[in-house]
Amino acid sequence: MQSNAALEYDYSVAKLFTYTTILFGFLGMLLGTLIAAQMAFPELNYMLGEYGTFSRLRPVHTNTVIFGFTLSGVFATFYYVGQRVLKVSMAESKFLMFVGKLHFWLYFVGALVATVSLLLGYSQSKEYAQYEWPIDIVIVLIWVAWGTSLFGLIGIRREKSLYISMWYYIATFLGIAMLYLFNNMSVPTYFATEGLGNFMHSVSMYSGTNDALVQWWYGHNAVAFGFTVPIVAMIYYFLPKESGQAIYSYKLSLLSFWGLMFVYLWAGSHHLLYSTVPDWMQTMGSVFSIILILPSWGSAINMLLTMKGEWNQLTENPLIKFMVLASTFYMLSTLEGPIQAIKSVNAIAHFTDWIPGHVHDGVLGWVVFMIMAALFHMAPRMFKREIYSKSLMEKQFWLQTTAVVLYFTSMWIAGITQGMMWRAVDEYGNLMYSFIDTVAVLHPYYAIRALSGVLYLTGFLMFAYNMIKTMTVSRELTQEPQFKSPMA
Amino acid sequence: MFHWLEKNPFFFSVGVFLVIAFAGLVEILPNFAEASRPVVGLKPYTVLELAGKEVYKKDACIACHSQLIRPFKSETDRYGQVSLSGEYAYDRPFLWGSKRTGPDLHRVGNYRTTDWHENHMWDPTSVVPQSIMPAYKHMFTNIADIETAYAEAVTVKNVFATPYGDEFQGTRAAWEAHKPKVLADAKLITADMKNKDVKDAVEAGNIPEIVALIAYMNRLK
Amino acid sequence: MDIRELQGYANFFMTIFLVIMLYGYIIHLYRSEKKGESDYEKFGNIALDDEIDSKPIVPNPKTMNENEEQNK
Repeated sequence: MQSNAALEYDYSVAKLFTYTTILFGFLGMLLGTLIAAQMAFPELNYMLGEYGTFSRLRPVHTNTVIFGFTLSGVFATFYYVGQRVLKVSMAESKFLMFVGKLHFWLYFVGALVATVSLLLGYSQSKEYAQYEWPIDIVIVLIWVAWGTSLFGLIGIRREKSLYISMWYYIATFLGIAMLYLFNNMSVPTYFATEGLGNFMHSVSMYSGTNDALVQWWYGHNAVAFGFTVPIVAMIYYFLPKESGQAIYSYKLSLLSFWGLMFVYLWAGSHHLLYSTVPDWMQTMGSVFSIILILPSWGSAINMLLTMKGEWNQLTENPLIKFMVLASTFYMLSTLEGPIQAIKSVNAIAHFTDWIPGHVHDGVLGWVVFMIMAALFHMAPRMFKREIYSKSLMEKQFWLQTTAVVLYFTSMWIAGITQGMMWRAVDEYGNLMYSFIDTVAVLHPYYAIRALSGVLYLTGFLMFAYNMIKTMTVSRELTQEPQFKSPMA
Repeated sequence: MFHWLEKNPFFFSVGVFLVIAFAGLVEILPNFAEASRPVVGLKPYTVLELAGKEVYKKDACIACHSQLIRPFKSETDRYGQVSLSGEYAYDRPFLWGSKRTGPDLHRVGNYRTTDWHENHMWDPTSVVPQSIMPAYKHMFTNIADIETAYAEAVTVKNVFATPYGDEFQGTRAAWEAHKPKVLADAKLITADMKNKDVKDAVEAGNIPEIVALIAYMNRLK
Repeated sequence: MDIRELQGYANFFMTIFLVIMLYGYIIHLYRSEKKGESDYEKFGNIALDDEIDSKPIVPNPKTMNENEEQNK
């Protein structure tokens, strides 16, 4: 027993990814707030010359929050949760430690280079897959490094049975690997000719309608496997651990897992309703989107029921509050998504602000809340200090909740207003509004959205401040807390 | 069997992979050949147009503009004939977009002209007073990368059999031979433009991004 | 039989197959628990009791030996 007492979980890689989660979260949300403000006040487009227009910054925003913030959060929690549920420490294998560090540094340098390349305008112009081929190759290497860590840890595990969170991490790994590779297939023009033109440029392997299908098969499911699957992995670990309650029904969690895996991938074509892709595929996209409610709600309800009989914790522990709100927003956006995928609703909603509205109640309410809660839970264990301020957490919670509500309500109204105005006709069947009328009318909603961005960003700064204080000056703990995270 | 799957990460992973790959296999692969057939009379993009498409991608016009007219009367009234699959056969990548902060551009060449675009890109509010689109003045000074556009044309000809002429070869000599044709195309555009600096640049053999972009916009019909 | 028809059949039968698998899985989960062969709910404790020296729910025989040595 003596020799074993020295063996501890090693969080060095998890800590590194925690820092980048905070850094990229701040940058991504700052950019998001800026571009939201640009839509309300176009003068803001001219602060950084060529590099500061809405169109140049929007891909930087989306990629920073997806591949910067969210992925960092996924990796940080993986290097934490993975060790704990497999009951094996990174310190036990020099090789895995090396791979973990390599994974981080490749990722960090890669992310910086990738961001600069987008600002310079190197873009494949496929949403969430803008990076040009040299960066894609770096991303593949990063993914291989993560896979090595993931399966390496599993290989030396003491707990033979894989906890449900690990299932979801494995699915994240496989899903993104498959989708990313297929969608980014392209031919570098420099090598297809005698070195003519720009080295970075490539041309997509798919054209037109095919490209659209592959792209939205990717685009939709990158959301699934980046914003849903690994976040579910987090909540299945952190909510039970923080509350001291085992998952309400482990069997239900297993069923939802397979249901989600099977159904999610079919739903991609709901992004292409009324387009030139074949009808049966559009219908398939609609139908499966509706079915998707079942496994999604299966997970969400399972989470809420985990708190059965323990609802008093909701008032006592702000971390529980964060996670319960996250699952509630998960339910909301997984209901909203299928509604938008119904063909007649989609006819109005598609191309309008309702779509960014839907995305953001998912990411702001579910993804970001869950990742912040996870980091708050990990901090006292990783840094052996209690959380710096409980009251700051409470304030942050309410500020950000208000921000999310403002965001999605304003975008719902904006989207439906615009969708209705586009199709409004007068008594003779002529279009009633010119396009610019439908833009001008949205100004107040864009202003509200910009305000919600400012509120949310402020909340995130409070989180960052709280985390940094926790890492540096908070009261030291002598013993690792078992369930509830200690906070001052 | 299930029991065994839960404890064998390797076969578990294979199982997950099969389940998630299934949708892709059924949905996408078999339709490939059919969906990439061009409509009759569709010509591949000229090098200048391809360079303009690059500008469109570089400045992510796709963030606010779609290129997909859906089969509703309100859309065909506003933007023109409904979009057909075959019209996109040479679009690599497709640029349908997912958000219409600005209007659809799939047939913008039918109702906007070179001088309109010139004014609009310099200052959108000069032609559409309430516009929230940013001005893209840097396109008037940045030089379009026509060599890369040429390399793209040669690549799609060689790899995807896009019907470009025999003169499209991947050698530097072939490119030098083709370059005057691109400049001639550019001069056709600048003939309708008023910005002196842009005209001078084209005379001197450099094509500003705006010229390429307008060539691309005019092609969208 | 052209590719579209094949695609249709492949899709139909594969979907049926996967649905049967899913229901089979549900039945498996509840039956094996009822017969007392396995207890799925105990896996929920993996998250709660996750100290490095706590006892695994299902020990991995491959890594068990070294673990035993460490415990001595």
